[in-house]
Amino acid sequence: MTHEATQITSPTKPSEILLHLGPQHPLQPGPFLLDLKIEGETIREAELKIGYIHKGMEKVFEDRTYLQILPLTDRICYLASNSNNDVYCRGVEELLGIEPTERAKYLRVLTNELCRLQSHLLGIGEYATDVGFLTMFIYMVREREGVVSLLEAITGSRLNHNYARFGGVANDLPPGYKEMALKTLGELKKQVKSHDEMLSSDSIYLRRTKGVGVLTAKEAGELGVAGPPLRAAGVEYDLRRMEPYLVYDDLDFKVITQTDGDVFSRVKVRLLEILESIYIIEQCLDQMPSGPYKQDVTPYITRPKPGEVYARIEDPRGEMGMYIISDGSDKPYRFRIRGPAFATAQALPPLLVGGYVADVAAIAASMDSCTSEVDR
Amino acid sequence: MGDEKIDKTIMIELSNTFKDAVSDVDVPSPNRAVARIDPGKVKEIMQFLLDNGFDHLSCVSGVDYPPDKMEVVYHVTSYSAPLVITLKASLPRDDPNIDSLCGIYWNANWYERETYELYGIKFNDCPYMKVLLLIEEMEGEWPLRKDYAGYPDLT
Repeated sequence: MTHEATQITSPTKPSEILLHLGPQHPLQPGPFLLDLKIEGETIREAELKIGYIHKGMEKVFEDRTYLQILPLTDRICYLASNSNNDVYCRGVEELLGIEPTERAKYLRVLTNELCRLQSHLLGIGEYATDVGFLTMFIYMVREREGVVSLLEAITGSRLNHNYARFGGVANDLPPGYKEMALKTLGELKKQVKSHDEMLSSDSIYLRRTKGVGVLTAKEAGELGVAGPPLRAAGVEYDLRRMEPYLVYDDLDFKVITQTDGDVFSRVKVRLLEILESIYIIEQCLDQMPSGPYKQDVTPYITRPKPGEVYARIEDPRGEMGMYIISDGSDKPYRFRIRGPAFATAQALPPLLVGGYVADVAAIAASMDSCTSEVDR
Repeated sequence: MGDEKIDKTIMIELSNTFKDAVSDVDVPSPNRAVARIDPGKVKEIMQFLLDNGFDHLSCVSGVDYPPDKMEVVYHVTSYSAPLVITLKASLPRDDPNIDSLCGIYWNANWYERETYELYGIKFNDCPYMKVLLLIEEMEGEWPLRKDYAGYPDLT
């Protein structure tokens, strides 16, 4: 693996071919152009060109009030909409100098973990399709349906939840939620364990993924990667543990790591994180205190004091950061979104160099990128 | 990812080592530190941070303060500690340029390209200073500047 080149050069030898993957291609989660210079089956150079769905969100946010931005943060990435809501709200809360209520903190952790579940499930499903394992995609989408229903029962919507609020959340749990959640999650746990077993024992699948696209801890650090790809290389970097926000301090969970850093490990990390998230949700449901789920008085117009904040969260894909500068008005002066998928996408080309064309799909999908968030 | 203790004392070390280049050091909360740096010394300062365990460049962003100032904001953190250091370098708005960090943190590349296309801040010695998210025709528009009037709709 080399991470020198960021730019692809024209083929010079007759044996070299320039191959465009994209901007529309079945293996992609969204439009991007992956240019590969190949010689035979081997990839010599790779370059990723992004921006096909650039929405100018950072500029848009500068022209919206703090409350208007809240539903827009969902749209950064629909699979991580809940964590985006949460990190944005924590940022604004820090600027305002308020704290969410205790019950709201638990509710946010609960929905964040549900969000992680459905993101990982769909991530593994999409990945499974790309390695030619369509059955697993169908299974994963079936499992995800239950989790999405659990989110829908709390937030009222299936994908763009818009659930967190400054100082609390939008609404409380519906009656009978705990029983419903435990039933679905118990079923999910069983299913995920059986899928894990299938993915760990299928010899064709193992040969396709073991030792492919290896990202060692040192390289991952140099490439600036975070989240499951980094943990698959053995680095215990999880903001839930390192910089405990909300109530993660009071919850018991393991930071899942693997050692190999290959395609197999990255998917294994996600599978095991699903089980760990279920455990966190069960604790949340047990420990959740009663009390108000939002502040009594939330001003309709939010005007934080001049200042700045960098809030971050362990998103399903890695480290999501929001840098908000307030100038005292009701709109942010500057809003910077530091997405995890952007960092992961940047690390993809060096990871592909030296590998085989046939492995591109497996490697790219195992990084679990999200074009919507890369382009913002 | 060394074993050294990574905490706020780095800010004292930083201002002692770079007496003239680091100012307005502030520690607003336990895991955050802010400082203003001299744009001419950015490479030395970042190398110093990297050598002291801050091995993760989280983010590079531009901020526009018309009529005469622009800022590049770096968020540097570590894979083994929760401290995030925010470093701000002020640049003149008529000719904003600063040294590239690509030689120190590999992942600075895309962040710098993004800052370049959105603000027009040039990063000297960046290996590939071209637009990243925008279409090539928009190079020179600098859409995130505060006085940006909009791109003509040509459709």
